[in-house]
Amino acid sequence: MLEDTGFTDVQIGPAVDTFGGANGEEKARAYEVYGYAFLARKH
Amino acid sequence: MSDLLVDADALREQIRDKYREVAVDPHRAFHFHTGRPLAARLGYEHDAVQALPDRAVESFAGVGNPFSLRRLQSGERIVDVGSGAGFDSFIAAGQVTDSGRVVGIDMTPEMLKKSRATADDLGYTCVEFREGLAESLPVEDGWADAVISNGVINLCADKKAVFTEIHRVLKPGGWLQFADIANGRPVPPEALRDIDLWTG
Repeated sequence: MLEDTGFTDVQIGPAVDTFGGANGEEKARAYEVYGYAFLARKH
Repeated sequence: MSDLLVDADALREQIRDKYREVAVDPHRAFHFHTGRPLAARLGYEHDAVQALPDRAVESFAGVGNPFSLRRLQSGERIVDVGSGAGFDSFIAAGQVTDSGRVVGIDMTPEMLKKSRATADDLGYTCVEFREGLAESLPVEDGWADAVISNGVINLCADKKAVFTEIHRVLKPGGWLQFADIANGRPVPPEALRDIDLWTG
């Protein structure tokens, strides 16, 4: 979707266990939900 | 006919209610972490976080670190989409310094009140907060050197509209650096249509 809207050079950082130990951990584990940093540039 | 999975206005209202709670009662238990422990968990620079008052940090509810792949440069103009109580905007202000500008945009009045009060207390003249939506940012075309956001775009029903709007406010060659969640396993269609699951 980033490239569809005119962004290039997309980079994605490593996964972060954003919800570990929080109340939402169980649901996050069920769908393998993690946090990521994204970097892209306007073409 | 809209091809969105949920009603965008209804979702926005639930999100606003949730983050109103995060603004006024940040120490209660949410489905996500908040505050200084979360900032440490996500790898924010300790000294930059330590320098901020509790009011700037306690309602922080991001999901990653939008500064981890690129540090902002002195003098840059930044838009923070979904700035909340201002945590990432204040981190950005420290990186762009007084020669830069940071515009935080949020739709929750309680968050805006908090971020503006903190900016006043800190005497940050390079930071301002505006009321607005991610899908219609109150920023002129091509103004920003970089757009940051943290844990916000996943909460927007029309993500393509958000990215199109971010593209509009960026200069040619400008940077989009944001943090958000992604799932490794597919979420069933019925769950995607359940607004309660979007908000935790």
